[in-house]
Amino acid sequence: MFSRVLIANRGEIALRVLRACKEMGIETVAVYSKSDAGARYLDLADEAVCIGDAPPAESYLNIPRIISAAEITNVDAIHPGYGFLAEEDNFAEICEESNIVFIGPSSEVMRKMGNKVQARKIAQEHRVPVIPGSEGPLEDDEEALELAHKIGYPVMIKAAAGGGGRGMRIAHNDISLKNMLALARNEANAAFKNPAVYLEKVLEHARHVEVQILADRHGNCIHLGERDCSIQRRFQKLIEETPSPGIDNDLRDKVTSAAVRIASAVGYSNAGTIEFLVDREKGFYFIEMNARLQVEHPVTEAVTGVDLVKEQLRIAAGEKLTLQQKRVEFHGVAIECRINAENPSDSFRTSPGTITEFIVPGGPGVRVDTHAHAGYEVKPHYDSMIAKLIVHQPTRREALACLRRALGEFVVEGIHSSVPFYRELIQHGGYVSGEFDVRFVENLIESGSL
Amino acid sequence: MDAVERVRKLIEIMAAHDLAELEVEEGDLRVKIRKNIPPQFPPVGFGLPHLQHVPGYHPALQSPGEATEEAPPSKEENLIEITSPMVGTFYRAPNPGADPYVSIGSEVSQDSVVCIIEAMKVMNEIKAEAAGVIVEILVQDTEPVEYGQVLFLVEPAEG
Repeated sequence: MFSRVLIANRGEIALRVLRACKEMGIETVAVYSKSDAGARYLDLADEAVCIGDAPPAESYLNIPRIISAAEITNVDAIHPGYGFLAEEDNFAEICEESNIVFIGPSSEVMRKMGNKVQARKIAQEHRVPVIPGSEGPLEDDEEALELAHKIGYPVMIKAAAGGGGRGMRIAHNDISLKNMLALARNEANAAFKNPAVYLEKVLEHARHVEVQILADRHGNCIHLGERDCSIQRRFQKLIEETPSPGIDNDLRDKVTSAAVRIASAVGYSNAGTIEFLVDREKGFYFIEMNARLQVEHPVTEAVTGVDLVKEQLRIAAGEKLTLQQKRVEFHGVAIECRINAENPSDSFRTSPGTITEFIVPGGPGVRVDTHAHAGYEVKPHYDSMIAKLIVHQPTRREALACLRRALGEFVVEGIHSSVPFYRELIQHGGYVSGEFDVRFVENLIESGSL
Repeated sequence: MDAVERVRKLIEIMAAHDLAELEVEEGDLRVKIRKNIPPQFPPVGFGLPHLQHVPGYHPALQSPGEATEEAPPSKEENLIEITSPMVGTFYRAPNPGADPYVSIGSEVSQDSVVCIIEAMKVMNEIKAEAAGVIVEILVQDTEPVEYGQVLFLVEPAEG
């Protein structure tokens, strides 16, 4: 097992990794930007190294500085968290070359799945359905138009090098297609340094269902169930839950075995997630694979009792998976709300500032993952998530009651937060019934009901 | 306004001005409200509405790691800090056994090399970017340094 791990991230996920390391007797090195100096979770690390100014390019995305920090603190491995460099195959490769273990899949596998067009092909090759769309990156507008006519509007333009809901544009007709293509290409180039885009049909009334994968470096691969992440706004997840209230056991089997098939086929190792869309006709379609730990991993941890970060550390250290698929058990229902520093009444504008009061809920079945506290200053440089509230109960009805209760206890003052938004959202009949699709929240907002 | 409403307003005032304790006497109403934190100074109550300002104690804000935009000079006014522009290992000399680039008392100018910081096997020469005299060296040879860490203090040249 590693003696020392550097955590190349910040905020709640840095704290999450730190906690797992501490429990395993692994020393921790935290890195931070100048604007994160003074964050209380840094005091919990064995060492903390300042790596640059606030902008991510100068700090959390700065590979030379992070590797340098790893070298001067003599770590065995680096955990990239999620976001930032977690799916940067270049970074994984440099770690490999510097003799530092990268806690995640190999750079080669990351590269394969990071190209969304290639990932689609791999899925198809392994008998996993994909959303009707382009075979490869779009050559030109003519090809796009022809394809759009073939599969039917509306269509989604996606960045080949994108992911995480970024760089996606919907087009409803020929004219908007031309405009959106140009926009999407520019955005893709700016965000991912690659203007290649591809096309997919927009599925109506789809649910976002993803599967958690855990694979070791000895060829063993299991799944830890699915998560329903259909409660989203502008392709960003708001609430995630497991099990999905929208699929039956038959579909569950199909989706989870498809996920294992794909992960095994590409030689995946460590933790990963395969994302699908599921339609009303019980059809399921592969969208993409996320070669990293996800934000919403706690709901899976709750129902399976598996500590995913500890498993990541074990797998990266070369251990065999002790978990066998048939021994994995799923208990109860878990739901997570992402609490952001934003003002839902003002188009969810981000609300930086100092938190003056912060009281997190507690009691049975409640978990809060957060790096925030009273006195903490939320700065505008990074994403606005300040906490994750996770509830776990034997049934969905009890989980909803617990969530309602916990949200009622949550106090965030000094900045705006999405707590009041969730209090309202979970009262809606459509949410309570579990019969929602990826458009649910936006439909409510558009109709003025939220 | 009834008593409860008055108390509520006072609590709002306390929060808005970050007070730890408030004592108000108005007519036949005498109210003393204290925040549940150890006070820095003993509270003093007077008869008339008098706001005793006690600085609120916020442990989070007093964390020593809090970085300010312009770090103040350590000991004297006007000393210039030479800080590390990268993460790496600090070396005082171009190679082991050689004379250090600078010592206390050395004169430096904008382009004077003051040290080496090694990062990922690359030896980076660090320039003073200041004109004056080295008065303090805050890091030891072969010590790891982080971004922004103060390496040298320079007394600026006259004029």
